[in-house]
Amino acid sequence: MLATAATATLLGVEGRPVSVEVHVSSGLPGFTIVGQPDQACREARDRVRAALLSSRLAWPQQRVTVNLAPSGVRKIGGGLDLAIAVGVLAATDQVPMSSLDRRAFVGELGLDGSVRPVTGTLPLVGVLDADEVVVAPASVAEATVVGRHVVRCAPSLRDVAVALRGDEPWPDPPPPGSAPPVADPPDLLEVRGHRLARRALEVAAAGGHHLLLLGPPGSGKTLLATRLPGLLPPLEGEQALEATRVHSAAGLPLPADGLLRRPPLRRPHQSASAVAVLGGGSASMRPGEVSLAHGGVLFLDELGEFPPAVLDALRQPLEEGVMRVARAELRATLPARFLLVAAMNPCPCGGGERPGDCSCSDAALARYARRVSGPLLDRFDLRLEVQRVSTDDLLGGPAGEPSAPVAERVAMARAVAAARGVRANAELRGSALESATPLAPGVAELLEGALGTGALTGRGLARVRAVARTIADLEEHEGPLTAEQVGLALQLRSATLRPHLRRTA
Amino acid sequence: MSGTEADTTFLVALAGLPGMGPARLRHLLDGRSPADAWAVVRGASPVPPAVAKACGPKVAAVLAGWRAAAAAVDVDERWAAHDAAGILVTPTSAPGVPACLAADLEPPAVLFHTAPLSRLEGPRVAIVGTRRATRYGLDVARELGRDLAASGVLVVSGLATGIDGAAHRGALEAGVAPPVAVVGCGPDVVYPPRHAALWADVIAAGVLLSEHPLGTPPAPWRFPARNRVVAALADVLVVVESRASGGSLYTVDEALARDVPVHAVPGSVRSPASVGTNQLLADGAAPCRDAGDVLDALGLVRPASGGGGQMPAPPPELAGILEALGWEPATFDDLQTGTALDPGVLAAGLTRLVAGGWLQRQGGWFERLQPDGPRR
Repeated sequence: MLATAATATLLGVEGRPVSVEVHVSSGLPGFTIVGQPDQACREARDRVRAALLSSRLAWPQQRVTVNLAPSGVRKIGGGLDLAIAVGVLAATDQVPMSSLDRRAFVGELGLDGSVRPVTGTLPLVGVLDADEVVVAPASVAEATVVGRHVVRCAPSLRDVAVALRGDEPWPDPPPPGSAPPVADPPDLLEVRGHRLARRALEVAAAGGHHLLLLGPPGSGKTLLATRLPGLLPPLEGEQALEATRVHSAAGLPLPADGLLRRPPLRRPHQSASAVAVLGGGSASMRPGEVSLAHGGVLFLDELGEFPPAVLDALRQPLEEGVMRVARAELRATLPARFLLVAAMNPCPCGGGERPGDCSCSDAALARYARRVSGPLLDRFDLRLEVQRVSTDDLLGGPAGEPSAPVAERVAMARAVAAARGVRANAELRGSALESATPLAPGVAELLEGALGTGALTGRGLARVRAVARTIADLEEHEGPLTAEQVGLALQLRSATLRPHLRRTA
Repeated sequence: MSGTEADTTFLVALAGLPGMGPARLRHLLDGRSPADAWAVVRGASPVPPAVAKACGPKVAAVLAGWRAAAAAVDVDERWAAHDAAGILVTPTSAPGVPACLAADLEPPAVLFHTAPLSRLEGPRVAIVGTRRATRYGLDVARELGRDLAASGVLVVSGLATGIDGAAHRGALEAGVAPPVAVVGCGPDVVYPPRHAALWADVIAAGVLLSEHPLGTPPAPWRFPARNRVVAALADVLVVVESRASGGSLYTVDEALARDVPVHAVPGSVRSPASVGTNQLLADGAAPCRDAGDVLDALGLVRPASGGGGQMPAPPPELAGILEALGWEPATFDDLQTGTALDPGVLAAGLTRLVAGGWLQRQGGWFERLQPDGPRR
């Protein structure tokens, strides 16, 4: 007899619907799975058989053939176990064939018959064309986020079989709130001094401007960068769904209600492999750190220590907001729209605390500056040096403004940007930028002066105007940009990677 | 070919041998003509004990190196190459070599130079200092170079990065007395490479001196030897900035050995680039505040007006920022605390001051560039 059960498998951060066809016929007892299963999926044979037996259900002493359609898609992991088991039950009349109609099954089986959660439940459930989805109890919150299905759960295969037969109702979902509470993001209140750098964080958050922090060790680069996610507005709608899908596909823990609303902060170490940062890897094309930072902040500490190949590959997500990963037979497009914050020592010796302190040779400085390519450097609208805070400020100085009011201003500025038709001012280009950033009288002369000293290039000029627009939006200033706004934008972008090389008379 | 010219031919070849320093060359030529010395390095004559001693513990290897290199050298061709490149070669024993070099404690045996040595006549002041200078040091070196050269003093330095380069640039700016550069490599080997333009300007306007023939690469041991020539040439040595240890303090030692007065430019007690110069002042070196102090020491007349003062005063609304900055480097945050200005107003003001040349921004620090009026 033939039974068909619906489920899905994962590629990148997207589900692909899979239909599990189970054929039970007379012949020598055996169990084969065809249709591009991977190792974990092929092992379903052993898990499913053991789960059925442990659940006091009958295993057919017949020939069982399972086909996973469409055959062109590679099936990954153990998420198909439940569908295979239910298919076998239907094909052997242990549950009615009609109970599989308009139902889909996503779950892995234990040898004891328990139903276990699957990585990527959200994207998997999202592609299922069914009225009801059956998942593991721990996946209910995540599966409910999709909102299109009635979500059923069962702790074990036996419960699934009983419910499908209609003997008993579906078990109740577990009470929500079992996930551990998430700690609040670090607050700006703890940052003392750093007046200009605080301003840079606010502007970065409001305008979506990528930020490069240059400073000696211990100057507070990490302290500042980790405050940025707390300034970003919470994720909403499609963006929250996308971010949650990525985290789900990567198997990261999700909040109790299943939807990721807090902008994530990802900080890969410089020794992370290219695949870990960019995505790809195993046959499921796991999302990398750039995708996990989707909707939030990607913090690259010691930017110059990352492999050049990784840094160069960052240019695509920075430009397009997606990471395209291609392997021999697979390709996936992973969302990757993030705010990039990078930190670097100004020079290899890291001792440049005051002018003239650095003991690096010219050659060493030039080599260090070359580690970050010009095109990548161009993506940073904000480039700022950070100095160690004086002891006075650290001990006796006034506490800084907390994150909450800053975040309010940021949300307001983002609303102003949205009225221009962009997510944030950093996306303003060409004529839209031109019309959004008229200059007040006398400001052109200020910019000309900066161009004259070589502090600014033609390309930089456009970016300075975008940053100045963000500063104006934060000040609730409409109309032409003032000298103060443009001047501050210039100061926020004035750091160079090779400051010491300019030390000639 | 006259006798002296043949001697010079062999001198060029001798000076170009590997590991040939001033002391070894001096011992080789002690009581021996260059042709005879050449015979020694070729292995045709026995090696005198003084030369063997100057070669140190690895004497055999040094002599073998000389012999191998000498066998491969076409003496006349080397000479012709210098002639063609316009490099003048003068044995120190020749007439016309300044007495301070000819009668030095460790006189160079031969000089390679780009202009006649007669151009070295006149009062000479060496300006030296650290290669890793601060804005302050570079500005002071440049002003000193400019004001001294304008008063007819020859500014001697080593064409290194930092203070040396700034002093040469100042002297070139004045365009009065020729700048003098003493280098530790061949006169055609531009080192450091980023000074190529300055190197050419100094050759065009003044004199470039070396103890080494064409093609000699820079080597760490050649720079102290170069510093000794700088000290020997100087009537006064001015150290602008020096760290706790460094090549400029070596020049100071050489100057003291030759009774050349040493002046030091005072610096901030917090600046690591001024530790060496401040120590010199504590040890009794004369303070050098401007060119006038050096001219006093040389017994020359100070120029009527003080140096500097060419910068126009900044617009009145920006003067407050310059006032708050003073002459010490400060960050944006420091300045905001100091001026209590709105960050936007301060930022716009700083941008104008940088564009107008009153300030420079480097590594997040703002430094004032030049005095906006006479300092004394």
